[in-house]
Amino acid sequence: MTKTTVAATLIGLASLLPTTAAHAQFFGQQPASSGSENMEGFTVSGKGTVAARPDAVEIDLEVSAASELTADAIVKYRDARKKLQEAFANLKLANVSVGERGLLVDKKGQMQSPYFFGGMQNNSRAKVEVQLSRKLVVKATGLRQMEEEKVLQQVSRLLDVAQDAGAKVGGAEMNPYYYYRFGMEQNAAGLIRFVLDDFDKLEEEAYDKAIADARARATRLARLSGVELGPVVGVREVNVPADHMTSADGEVPRKRLETSRFQEIPIKVELMVRFEVLAKPDAKGRVGQ
Amino acid sequence: MERRAKKRGRSATWGGALAVGLTLAMVASHPATAQVGNGPDKPEADKISNDNPARPFQLPPASAEVKEALDDFERFGRRGAWERALKSLFSIPDAQSGRFIDGEHGFVIPIARKRHALLTSLPPDGQAAYQVFHDADAKKIFEEADGPNQLKDLERIYSLYFTTTIGDNAADRLGDLYFELGRFDRAADTWLAVVRERPDTDLSIALVSLKAALALHRAGRSGEFAQVRADLKAKHDDESVSVGGVSGKPTEVLAKLVGDDAQAPIEAAKPAPSAEGTIQLGEAVDVAWQTKFAQTVEAGMTPLEATQWDNNNLSTAVPGVAVGGQTLYVNYLGYAFAVDLKTGKMLWRSASFHMLDVVAMQQQAQMIDATRFSVVASEELAWFVGRDLKDQNMFGPFRLTCRRAAGGDVAWKSDDLSDYATYDLFGPPLLADGKLYIIAKSLHNPQQQDLAKQYVLAIRPEDGKILWKSEIGTFRQGQQMYSYYNPTKDSSPHPRLLLHAGSLYVDTHAGVLARLDAESGVLEWGYGYKTEAVQGQDQFFYYMPPSDPATASAAPLRLGDALLVKGAKSDQIEAVDPNRMAVVWERPISKSSRVLGTDGRTIYLAGPELSALDLDSKRLLWATKVPGGSLDARVLLRPDGIWQLTPRGVFEIDPKSGDVRRIFRGGDLGSVGGDLILTDRWLISVSNRTISAYPRRADSNLRASHD
Repeated sequence: MTKTTVAATLIGLASLLPTTAAHAQFFGQQPASSGSENMEGFTVSGKGTVAARPDAVEIDLEVSAASELTADAIVKYRDARKKLQEAFANLKLANVSVGERGLLVDKKGQMQSPYFFGGMQNNSRAKVEVQLSRKLVVKATGLRQMEEEKVLQQVSRLLDVAQDAGAKVGGAEMNPYYYYRFGMEQNAAGLIRFVLDDFDKLEEEAYDKAIADARARATRLARLSGVELGPVVGVREVNVPADHMTSADGEVPRKRLETSRFQEIPIKVELMVRFEVLAKPDAKGRVGQ
Repeated sequence: MERRAKKRGRSATWGGALAVGLTLAMVASHPATAQVGNGPDKPEADKISNDNPARPFQLPPASAEVKEALDDFERFGRRGAWERALKSLFSIPDAQSGRFIDGEHGFVIPIARKRHALLTSLPPDGQAAYQVFHDADAKKIFEEADGPNQLKDLERIYSLYFTTTIGDNAADRLGDLYFELGRFDRAADTWLAVVRERPDTDLSIALVSLKAALALHRAGRSGEFAQVRADLKAKHDDESVSVGGVSGKPTEVLAKLVGDDAQAPIEAAKPAPSAEGTIQLGEAVDVAWQTKFAQTVEAGMTPLEATQWDNNNLSTAVPGVAVGGQTLYVNYLGYAFAVDLKTGKMLWRSASFHMLDVVAMQQQAQMIDATRFSVVASEELAWFVGRDLKDQNMFGPFRLTCRRAAGGDVAWKSDDLSDYATYDLFGPPLLADGKLYIIAKSLHNPQQQDLAKQYVLAIRPEDGKILWKSEIGTFRQGQQMYSYYNPTKDSSPHPRLLLHAGSLYVDTHAGVLARLDAESGVLEWGYGYKTEAVQGQDQFFYYMPPSDPATASAAPLRLGDALLVKGAKSDQIEAVDPNRMAVVWERPISKSSRVLGTDGRTIYLAGPELSALDLDSKRLLWATKVPGGSLDARVLLRPDGIWQLTPRGVFEIDPKSGDVRRIFRGGDLGSVGGDLILTDRWLISVSNRTISAYPRRADSNLRASHD
């Protein structure tokens, strides 16, 4: 090995040093700590999983009406909304409610000139119609206790009623060309969505289970180590459900889980918990050694 | 004109007092809504002119020389130079008499009518000059008016020399002639002209009024009839007249000839036998018979072929149908077949549907508007409007084929007749009074840049001979079909026909309602309503939002003495009095609306939703959305309910409240909806997949099934 080669090797190794340090720092934040971390007490991970079936189903409907005269649009909109509300009320199902989102007053009917890019402007004299539209959300609760067959029946009944009442079921339709042109994925959501509305409660249960799991692990380690387990001195969330906030259409944002399938939805929580170690009265040596 | 207006005002007062006629009552009680559509108070931008190049359709226009002659007449008339003024008027050649010029209130009138109106409104000095210059000419024509040219000569006097000393006599004779020919509308107009415009006449006003009343009654013009009868009672009941061997007071003679219940028009719409009785469908009704023609098309398809067929627009085509005797005739994309209404068995068909999907995949087939396939039928014959899907010519015309009811043999077809060579036929045809009326468009010729014209053809149904053809006008828009990048259909709305009291009305749905004499085909006038031009291609670039689906065009609808007109691209609904040539009322309405019908108090509309418009207040009463909307379905409208076939079954709607009373799912689910037809025995639903017959009464069906 020549001097030059040795020098190059050294420089190369030296240049790697900061990288390695950064790497170590990065992993140092991970729960699986390296041996260089200063260990105090027991640091264990606790996992808790709660699975529950959706307790509600929601169907988005759109009521809209347009006309040359705003008075006509109001009659059309009012009747469409009233008939839809009545149709669901006539079902006389205590667990079904119809929620309303904000009213949109818009225009309809102004079409872009096909030759706009050939230098022709849109027809500025084209009349526009006033359009009133509102999103309604039909919600049926208490699904968790129902048999799947009954859930199906109820959902199909709600869909039938909505369609028979002339409502547009499902979200807004977008031009498929947009998806193609802008590399977007088409919304694969179905006609309905199942909802875990008591998400907070279930999340709480999952946390409970994770802490209990961590305590059980730490207790075992303490028993095997011949020490006494002390109180929790540190907790870090490793893997917790994301904050699914819904705030569409002016609805108050809240945590919930949505799925297009009727199945059990798992809520997983993983925590890193550090317990203090208490020395047994008859133990020898220093705690922590 | 002033005198005429006064007379009209007086008549209207009497009419208001006596007539139950809805239109007059409406006008009287709602002056705000009874505005004249194109009156002088309207802004210039709203005025409709036949010469406006932005309008999509133009009636045959008068030449520039004619317009100059009319301008000269007005200019010289203002100066009192009556000799020169009249000379200008009489310089208009006869060939231009039938060409059109803007009239009043949005009406476009022939030059002959315009000239008549100008001459009858001459001031006294002009009238005196006119008689001095033209009395001798008029008398000469009148004396020579005999034989085959009698009608033409009298018409000439009526148009050119009405206010000469023999003008009233000529009009009276012309009225007699028209009455004998059964052209009651025209007879009434000529007699009314004598009564209203020639107070100086030596003729008996009582007699002429009586004859006018008779003609009005025969023409079904109930409102005007009531006015004239009231005038007779008020002014002439002390006179004695004799008509048709009956003598006495005018009102007594009238009562003897037309009866005392003369307030009702003679052609008051009575329900057809098949429409009588109730429809009582319930969930328990089974389909009595069903013709599943779509299954025949789909038989043997691979999954890929089936998917392609499902995505083809032609797979959603609802066939045109017509009932003739006990047979249902069907025009399914040019394939004709007949179904026995008793059993549902297919009696015959013109060709097998096999491989229809392969033909439908061709580009030229995808450019075909499937709603243009139509059929009308009598007991012995059926007439099919269609074209061969296999024809490679994307501009290939639609043709007429007459088939015999028994066996479906071709009796005649327009392909074999040279008279039809230059026409593209637009359905649906109208079979009435022993004639077949159909609208035609001149064929697109890519070698020539001339614009297409629209015609009405009157055809002898038995052999296809064209009895008369009449040009309605010219489309200002060019060809609407393209095959650039993607095949595009011509989305122009279909013109529609209505025959009433000897007049044939054509709503071009391109901004013009035209009236023709059904006997001769003479185009009498056009009424221009506001409309948007047809947008042939709505998605030239991929990022343009597709336009809303178009609503089908509807035929003009009779409403008392008026006609309801709603152009497919118009945002106005208008009640037009075709005889007084005035707009009774107009109201903005959603462009996507179409007129379904009326019960005299309410107008029922369709479109994205079914709705009802109160005739009295012009308020929208209710609106009900049914699945898939009501854009083009043939809806059953009856006093006891409204029925529509939707993709989710037959919906029964309360016409008073718009509430859905019942949903009868039936055996046609999975279709795109379609048409409903009522026969004596069945409610027949026609979708893009099946033709299904249901017994009209659920209880009878239940008994039968339990037996």
